[in-house]
Amino acid sequence: MMKQAIILAAGEGQRLRPFTVNRPKTMLAVADKPIVRYVIEALSQNGIRNIVLVVGYRKEQIYDAIGSGEQLGVDITYVTQEKQLGTAHALAQAVDVAEDEFLVLPGDNLIVADTIARFIDEKPGALLVKRVADPSRYGVVAVQQGIVQGIEEKPGEARSNLVNTGVYAFNKEIFNYTGSVLDIPEVLNNMINEGHEVNAVETDGSWLDVVYPWDILNLNEEVLDHVEPAVGGTVESNVFLRGQITVGKDSVIRSNSYLSGPVIIGSGCHIGPNVCILPGTSIGDNVVISSFTEIKNSVIGNDVAIGPGCIIEDSVIDEGCAIKGHLTACSGEGEVKVNGESHSVSYGVMMGEDCNVSGNVVIQPGTIVGNYCQIHAMKLVGGKVPDRSLVY
Amino acid sequence: MCGIIGYIGEREAQPILLNCLNRLEYRGYDSCGVAVMGDSIQVFKDAVRVKALEKTLPKLAGTAGIGHTRWATHGEPSPENAHPHCGCKGKVAVVHNGVISNFQSLRQQLAHEGHTLLSETDTEVIPHLIEKYYNGDLVKAVGRALEDVDGSYAIIALIEGETTLVAARKDSPLIIGVGDREYFIASDVPAVLDYTSSVIYLEDGDLAVITPNAIEVTENGVAVHREEHKVLWSVEDAQKGGYQHFMLKEIHEQPRVIRDTLKQYITAADLNADSAMTGSDGLEDLLVLACGTSYNAALVGKYLIEELAEVPVRAELASEFNYCGQISARNRVVVLTQSGETADVLRAVKRLNEQGCQVTAITNVVGSTISRLASQVVYTRAGPEISVPATKSFMAQLIALYWLALPYSRVDMRRLDNLIVGLRQLPAKVQQVLDNEEVIAECARYLSGYDNVFFIGRGINFPIALEGALKLKEISYIHAEGYAAGELKHGPFALLGDDTPVVVAAAPDKTYEAMVTGIKEVKARHSPVLAIVSEGDKNIGELADWVITVPEVETIFSPVVNVVALQLLAYYVARQRGCSIDYPRNLAKSVTVE
Repeated sequence: MMKQAIILAAGEGQRLRPFTVNRPKTMLAVADKPIVRYVIEALSQNGIRNIVLVVGYRKEQIYDAIGSGEQLGVDITYVTQEKQLGTAHALAQAVDVAEDEFLVLPGDNLIVADTIARFIDEKPGALLVKRVADPSRYGVVAVQQGIVQGIEEKPGEARSNLVNTGVYAFNKEIFNYTGSVLDIPEVLNNMINEGHEVNAVETDGSWLDVVYPWDILNLNEEVLDHVEPAVGGTVESNVFLRGQITVGKDSVIRSNSYLSGPVIIGSGCHIGPNVCILPGTSIGDNVVISSFTEIKNSVIGNDVAIGPGCIIEDSVIDEGCAIKGHLTACSGEGEVKVNGESHSVSYGVMMGEDCNVSGNVVIQPGTIVGNYCQIHAMKLVGGKVPDRSLVY
Repeated sequence: MCGIIGYIGEREAQPILLNCLNRLEYRGYDSCGVAVMGDSIQVFKDAVRVKALEKTLPKLAGTAGIGHTRWATHGEPSPENAHPHCGCKGKVAVVHNGVISNFQSLRQQLAHEGHTLLSETDTEVIPHLIEKYYNGDLVKAVGRALEDVDGSYAIIALIEGETTLVAARKDSPLIIGVGDREYFIASDVPAVLDYTSSVIYLEDGDLAVITPNAIEVTENGVAVHREEHKVLWSVEDAQKGGYQHFMLKEIHEQPRVIRDTLKQYITAADLNADSAMTGSDGLEDLLVLACGTSYNAALVGKYLIEELAEVPVRAELASEFNYCGQISARNRVVVLTQSGETADVLRAVKRLNEQGCQVTAITNVVGSTISRLASQVVYTRAGPEISVPATKSFMAQLIALYWLALPYSRVDMRRLDNLIVGLRQLPAKVQQVLDNEEVIAECARYLSGYDNVFFIGRGINFPIALEGALKLKEISYIHAEGYAAGELKHGPFALLGDDTPVVVAAAPDKTYEAMVTGIKEVKARHSPVLAIVSEGDKNIGELADWVITVPEVETIFSPVVNVVALQLLAYYVARQRGCSIDYPRNLAKSVTVE
């Protein structure tokens, strides 16, 4: 059984902006927990406690959240990738701390213990694959009788439905091949061409990826279904709770509020009175939500203050935003361009950190608002608003 | 001050003592030593850091032992002056934290009686006194020896032939970590977190006898029961977790610290009724006492309480106050001490108590001496601060001061509501400063080449200039001085030139115009200017040579974001200069001497 895992958590995740301007992709919060933490927990639940974290972009965020690993019951060694030059290069940074055999996992794909439960017993020279509905976004794996024939990245026409999860079992020999090659799939293709055998192991367990900001909502909804309900704070009289509800320590849910799960609320929050939190919503720490606001299937970050009378659906509002009141961010269809590619989307708003939104603002469905934006009262906002914009 | 440690149980003592000493080093790190009891007592000590001692130390077998890490008071750092100290026959070993004020007369007396003392320390008299009074019972001997002693002490003693540790506390902190058939005696809690989260806080006058199976505590000869407490700090809190230095980790913890401190105190629009300072209905004036960085927090407190509550506030250095401060029973007093053990502050509070004053203490350490002396204690929830230069504890003190001030505010309800909203936004604002770290590190690279730096500020940012200078001098050893901006031209201007940069902490408030003028005057003398300005600033940013932009906040909260920028600035300058940072030369974490 493998005893060590190397998690690659150095990447930026450019396509996830504005959310990755101040944090690495692995630190995106899903149901109030950063993605990398799900990976660590999956490993720890399978008995792997010796973990190497390869960090790089915005590594302090990971130090702050994960630290020495003590609280997660694991032992973390940090290795820094100074320049983000690909997954093979990231792995190569760990050569001095790697044991003879180890697992390699991506830090930015959400997995659970089940996903890798069988894989940890694999001998070095194995790759975990999964059947997905839309394989052309990923690395498609050609498999014959359990042996990998090749990996094709984002093919126009996918030859199979099996994709590369980025979870590998290697031994120290891999470092002989990571030299000048930038990405691990390329390394594997080279090794396969030289005659090495790489086993393909299929998993049924959860393996979730985020590529674009709105993907966060899918992950959030799926994970929330499995969160154990628990109410740690204060719930005043006449509050209606239905379904799986988690409320953190020192939070207060004021009278006449309606919470329909699955919903998770962090610690030190003040919600209500008369607030509706509807299914699929995650709320961070130190969040204030004022009367007559309705939030549905959305992710609200730490330290956000939402004034009265808002409607927020299928949206992500990042940390520190201050919303005065009467914000309309309804869900609907829209078109968004990311890195020159057009996407048809269906959501409310993707709003970056520390935005200041005055009263009675209407945000059109499918809008992306950058970090540190200021929006004056009674504005109609649409499209892609760059960081530090003033909308007046 | 020093850190002391003792272990008795079933495991080998040496590795445990060394591990705990590593954790205690922030209390003092010019010398260290251990004594382990096997068949006999073996002592090994030197004027080196703990890691260095570990390399030269032979294996000392035994399941009971004591250890010490030193911050020299009497006697320079040397192997002879290092603890543990022994009696003439080498059968008694003692470690000590504190100052024996009558040690000179005791030395003379002991020498007269035939004892040979080998060091220049005050501590050494203790094992000799124990030796003198020993008659088969260590506890009795220690008790009798301490009757001869004046001053402060936290000591642990062991003697050949008795499988016991005897510990005593008077005016220096001492706790006992409780394990399974083993006990860990230490100067403070972080030392024992690897082994237990259950601790007993000894009180002044306690004498404890510890064997592997039991503890017995007496106070003035009478048996007492001391409660076991569960400690909320975890080992995690005392580890660096990826960061190169504790200081950088602790700076990054500040958003979380603000959230945790606020959680206890602010309840949406209503202020927690418990926030009122005891005996302070209708506050008419206030005295605030502190030392070091806490004094800078006290000064910020002065500005903010004067503005919000509209009463006169007097902020004094505790050390100076002890020589001349005028007080009456009417005085409402707030004292700030991170460790709760700061000697100058404790002395002041004892005097204030005698005069009948009501004292509110703001401290970070549960069970510390101040928590027993003050009428009311407000605990900051910063977690253990391991790095010697204070960062998150200062931030937590600021938040506690805002919270204490709000119930007395004479501002209108709307302003009050805005203030509470503003307070809740602070974690995100501080995080913004942290996310901008690289710009600050870049400025630090330029600053690190200079030997003298001035820091200036006005109004509520004057104490922040003082704090910025203090941080820089503490960890980078650059001669940095903080001044009220208005004072520069009354003398210090003579020092300004192109080799004396001036760091400016500004806020867009009524002091802004004067600051702009001041900077122009500085620039006329060719001094480089580094300015901390608010987002959207127009003028100062253009005058300065280097600019650090912090998020816009209400002026009353500007110290919070400005100080984080200055903490990071000091950190990166020190790193650039290759300084030790967490353990600066000549300093220690909690100043338990006057």
